[in-house]
Amino acid sequence: MSRAMQAFVAALLWGGIVSVAAAQGTNTGHGRYVPIDQYVPPGIAGQMALQAGKAGPNDFQPVRVKLPTTGTVTFFDGTPQRPVELAAPAQAGLLVGRMYRLRVTNLPEFPGGEFYPSIELVDRLHPPPGQAERFPVEVELFPEEFHGADNGRMITKVVYLEQPNLVQTQHLHGEKRVIDLAPAQNALAEADVLGRPIAIVRMGGRTPDVNAPDWQFWGPGAPIRLTNVSITGPQTQFRGSPRGVIQPANFTSPQR
Amino acid sequence: MKYYFLALGTVVVVCVGCAMDGQQLTKKGEFHAPPAAMMQRPGPMVDGPGPGVLPMMAPPPQRPFALTTSQVRFVGPDGMKVGWQVPNGYAENQLVAPARYNFVQGQTYRLKLAGIPGHEGLTIYPTLKVYPAHPNTEAYLSHNSLPLQINVEDLEQVEGNNFVTKVIYLPDARYQELAVANVETLVSTRLDPGVDPIQEADKMGTIMAVLEMGNLDLEMPNPVAPQGTALNADGSEVQQVAYRAAFDGEQGQMMPPMPIGPAGQHVNGIPNAMMMAGMGLPGQPAGPISGVNMPVWGMPTTGTPIGLPGPTHLPYGGPAGLKSHTVRNLTKTDIGKPVDHMLIDVEHEPGISLPHPVKYVNYKEKHPVYSPGEVGYPAWAQPQGADGAYCPPGQQPQP
Repeated sequence: MSRAMQAFVAALLWGGIVSVAAAQGTNTGHGRYVPIDQYVPPGIAGQMALQAGKAGPNDFQPVRVKLPTTGTVTFFDGTPQRPVELAAPAQAGLLVGRMYRLRVTNLPEFPGGEFYPSIELVDRLHPPPGQAERFPVEVELFPEEFHGADNGRMITKVVYLEQPNLVQTQHLHGEKRVIDLAPAQNALAEADVLGRPIAIVRMGGRTPDVNAPDWQFWGPGAPIRLTNVSITGPQTQFRGSPRGVIQPANFTSPQR
Repeated sequence: MKYYFLALGTVVVVCVGCAMDGQQLTKKGEFHAPPAAMMQRPGPMVDGPGPGVLPMMAPPPQRPFALTTSQVRFVGPDGMKVGWQVPNGYAENQLVAPARYNFVQGQTYRLKLAGIPGHEGLTIYPTLKVYPAHPNTEAYLSHNSLPLQINVEDLEQVEGNNFVTKVIYLPDARYQELAVANVETLVSTRLDPGVDPIQEADKMGTIMAVLEMGNLDLEMPNPVAPQGTALNADGSEVQQVAYRAAFDGEQGQMMPPMPIGPAGQHVNGIPNAMMMAGMGLPGQPAGPISGVNMPVWGMPTTGTPIGLPGPTHLPYGGPAGLKSHTVRNLTKTDIGKPVDHMLIDVEHEPGISLPHPVKYVNYKEKHPVYSPGEVGYPAWAQPQGADGAYCPPGQQPQP
């Protein structure tokens, strides 16, 4: 059910950041006007979502990050000094409206490679009470996206929740639907036509610089929440307490 | 007959007017939001203080993911050693390409490129201008590095006494034919003579960095001793003793680069609020106040032949005798009269167009109405009569 209701969309926009698109809102043709697009500065869409009341400032939305095969996904709990390393697929609760920087390592396809995508939640799901962990927002990173980021290109994806009456039945049990858009198209508006935009995922080739560290690279920081260990499978390894509550003393320093 | 057409026209206008609010004639179903920079602020000249009595209406919202550095990736040639200017000299071998470094935005740096494979004897000192982040480029700069590739053609141009300018910019979508696009680099040597690569790049996108390089040697020893320089017995110049810092990255001596100037004057394209007397608050000297933060009004500042302001009393100690001191400027000038009314027209193309606010909502619920006998119950909820038979609503036995 999670896969059925969690459609995936994406605008694989290799490197395109445009001023024209940023200067134009989009009328979706369905009575919706989307004043922003995926090119707004990171964090702005999330702030506007909070101001619009799409979620409360303390609402944690579980997010599951899936990799092509195996690998390690590191969340940062508030600051880069508190990394939480999880084996893929990794799941953690993130606050809506905040920016999170992730670290993806140990990819067998990219030995020694490090990637630092970011996730910005602009909305939340509404699962049955008490079952939020069963229905996370699935963010899947594909091999071609890692290749693009490794070559210095930028990938911007918009994950949306598909509207039930617009579900294409042939995709109920297949791969997640990925739609490539031209750079000038508004991915948020397109996702709004097909459903409800949930998250903006960005990934490029920038990595932390040891010689000249920029702490802004990690963003303002926000807490994460780890609850259900079994949901991510037996390979999940927490570096926190067994209850999933993050303890600063239990974590290693970030690799900077 | 004409009354018939008049009445018909009136009916048409009334009927059509009820269905149209006028936007259909001028709108094409498109809306245009303000630029991204304006979306972050209330607007130009509206977020300042009120007319001298109010504090700031609202500070600009904090940019949550605003990096202060741009990561420059020296792609190649492989093995090229990158150094940069630091106080009192150059820090050499700080990086070996391919490598990357975070440069503070809005600054100009002097680089030192040496040890280029195939050009071992060549050392060039390019300037690298790292432009400030723009709302259009913030997402890119926070996730990507700026590729800086120096190829054989660039080196041949430099050795040929040519000036090479490389502009790294993020192209607008209308200049990207394919979705598989990337940051682009505009090189002056590939453009027609007279074409400014910076202006061309600015037309097609947002500039993030500019590299300018020639063959000027900035560390060449002075071959001819300046006049007055002390010479040794053999005629060579006496080397003065001075502190000169030397940093060699190969020995682990790292030193951040020293900015030598600003770069990129644009910030976000939105002008700040224009206010008379500055940004002060009541009770604080903000604007020019005579005698407080500027000379007293009337203080003579005109020079005299003796270099002192004001009327002179010469000879000193004697009575004041100078009654007139006149300096005439006979230069013919034609600089126009002072402007008494200034008009600045600004315009967005296309203009800002947003959906009009909702002024009418019609909320209507329709509920089904059933007559007795039309309501059915599922089997598990059927009210049972005394004998177990179906008992319609309203006829159930009372307990």
